[in-house]
Amino acid sequence: MADAIQKKLKAELEKYSQVQKDVSKSMSVRQKLETQLTENNIVKEELDLLDSSNTIYKLIGPVLVKQDLDEAKATVTKRLEYINGEIQRYETLLKDMEKRADDHREVLTSLQQELHKAQGRTGGKI
Amino acid sequence: MAGGGGKANMKPLGGVHRLREEHEKVVKDCDSRIQHWMKVSGDYDALSDRLKTLPDRLSYDIMVPFGPLAFTPGKLVRTNEVTVLLGDNWFAKCSAKQAQAVVDHRMKHVKKELDDLAKTRKNFEARVGLAKDLETMSANKGEFVDIREEVTSSTASKGKQRIAHKPNSKPKLDVVVDLNEEEEEKEGGTGTMTEEELWRRLDELERLEELQDEQDRLSDTADTNGDDSSSSSSEEEKEAACAPPVNGLKPGWSPAPHSDPPLPNRKAEDDEQEEEGSCLPTIFFSHTVEPKKVRINTGKNTTLKFSERKEQKEHSKRKKKNGHSNGHAHHELHKITSPADVYRLFVDVRNGEPVPRKSILKSRSRENSVCSDTSESSAADFEERRVTGRSFSHDEATHSDTSDGVTEEDSPTAGPLLSRFEAFSGTVIEKDPMPTGVPHLTILPPALPTIPERKQEEVASDVTPPPVPPEASKRLSKFKAARLQQK
Repeated sequence: MADAIQKKLKAELEKYSQVQKDVSKSMSVRQKLETQLTENNIVKEELDLLDSSNTIYKLIGPVLVKQDLDEAKATVTKRLEYINGEIQRYETLLKDMEKRADDHREVLTSLQQELHKAQGRTGGKI
Repeated sequence: MAGGGGKANMKPLGGVHRLREEHEKVVKDCDSRIQHWMKVSGDYDALSDRLKTLPDRLSYDIMVPFGPLAFTPGKLVRTNEVTVLLGDNWFAKCSAKQAQAVVDHRMKHVKKELDDLAKTRKNFEARVGLAKDLETMSANKGEFVDIREEVTSSTASKGKQRIAHKPNSKPKLDVVVDLNEEEEEKEGGTGTMTEEELWRRLDELERLEELQDEQDRLSDTADTNGDDSSSSSSEEEKEAACAPPVNGLKPGWSPAPHSDPPLPNRKAEDDEQEEEGSCLPTIFFSHTVEPKKVRINTGKNTTLKFSERKEQKEHSKRKKKNGHSNGHAHHELHKITSPADVYRLFVDVRNGEPVPRKSILKSRSRENSVCSDTSESSAADFEERRVTGRSFSHDEATHSDTSDGVTEEDSPTAGPLLSRFEAFSGTVIEKDPMPTGVPHLTILPPALPTIPERKQEEVASDVTPPPVPPEASKRLSKFKAARLQQK
C-alpha cells in the first residue's frame, strides 16, 4: 500500500516538477519579451529622433540591410505590437500553469499525508 | 507529537529566516544591477564626451586594433558620421550631434532604471530590517509575548443578541408620551409668557429692587445716624400717607415697636404695597432729613439733645393715633424733607404775621424766630406760633416734635397729599394722579415757599380730595404705564 502511494507520489512529483519547469521557462521567455519590449520602445523613440537624411540599417545575419526610415518605424511598431501580444499570451499561459502547479501541489500534499499514514500503519504493524 | 510541536515552533522562525534571506538576496540583486547601470551610465557619459569632441577635427590619428594582438596605425576620418545601434539589430547612420541626442535619450532611460532600482533596494532593505526584528523577537521569547486569543464558536454566540431596529419602526410609547407632555409644558410656558407674564415678571423684579434699595437705605441710616427708630418711623409714616384715608390700617401694624430692625417694617411695607392699590405711584428714597439736624444748625442752642425715648414715645403715640384714625397719619409726613421745607419752618413772626426768614443760619432771639421742631424748652413759643401759623403752614404741626394729636387732627386731609409733592420728600412721584390744575410744589422757589404753597393747599383742601382713579394711582412702573397707554 505504501509502495503504491509512493509510486503515485513520485509520478505526481515528476509532473509537478515538469509544470514548475514550464512555468520558469515561460517566465524567462516573458522576461525576455519584456526586455525586448523596452528595447523596441527605445528604438522607436530614437527613430523618432532621426530624420529622413539618416540612413537606417537592419542587421540581418552578417549584413546590414539598408532600410527606409518610415519602413523601419513601421516595422518597429509592428514588432512592438507582436511583443505585446506575446507578453499577453505568456501572461495567460503563466496563470494557467500556476493553477496547474497549485493543483499538483495539493495532490502532492494529500499524497504525502497518505504516505505518512501508511508508513505509520506499517510502523505500528512493525 | 513532541517533534511535531517543536516543528511548529521552529517553522515560523525558519520562515522568518528564509524571508530575510530572500529579501537580502533581492537587495543584493538590486545592488548588482545598480552597479551595472552605473557602469552603463559612465560609459554613456564617456561616449557623450567623445561625441562632443569628435567632430572638432576632420581626422584623427589612431591605432586601429588589428586582431587580438596587433594594432596598426590608422586615421579616423569622417568624424561627423556615426553608426548607432539603436537596438534589436537596428542601425542608424547619423551625425555626431544626432548620436549625442540618442545618447541623451539612453541616459534618461538609464537614470530612470537607476531610480527604480534604488527604490526597490530601499524597500527591500526595510523589509530585511523587519525580518531581522521579527527573528530577534521570536528568538528572545522572554522579552516579547505573543498574545493570542482563541475564538471558538461558543464564545462568539455568547451574550444577548441585539436586534437591529428598522429606521421607521415606532419609538417606545412612554417616550412619546413624555415628549408630548414636555411640549405641552413648553407651549404653556412660552405661549403665555410672551406679553403679560413678561411684564408681570418685570414689575415684580422692579418692586423687588425697590425693596432691596429700601432695605439698604434703612441699614445705612441705622449705621450713620445711629437712631434707626426715627428713620423707620418716617418710613412708616410715609406708608401711612400712601395709604388712602379710607384704607383701614391693620391693627398688627400700628403697635409695631420702632426700635425693631427694619426687616419687619419692610415686610409690613410689602403688605402695604400689596394691599394699597390706590396709592400714589411713589418711590421711596433714603434721604430723610431729620428735624433734629436742622435744629442743630439753627444757632446757639444747638446742643439740644434729642431724646430718643421721647421720640419713641411720640411715635408710639402717633401709632396709636394711626390705629384710630389713620386719615391723619400722613400729617406726620411733613417733616423737613427738602431745603424748601427748612425755609418754611424757620419763620419770623413780625406783628403777628409770619415772615420767611432770610437766612436760617443767622441766630436770632428765640422769641422772634419760630422753629417748628423746637424742643420742649420752646414749647410755649411753638404753641404760640401754632395758633398763628396754623393757618399758613400745616406742615409745622407734623414737623414739630412736640406736636400733639390736636394739631394733627386739625390739619386738612387733602393738604398732605399735595404737600407730598416736594423735592426730597423721600418720595418720588412718577405720575401725577391729581388734576393737572394743581401744580407741583417742587417747582416753587425755595426762598418763599409758604405763601403760594399755602394758597394752593388751601384751595386743594377746600375742594374735596380728588378722587383718585384706581389704575392711575396704582404704583406704576414706566413700562407698565407705557403698556397701559398702549392699551
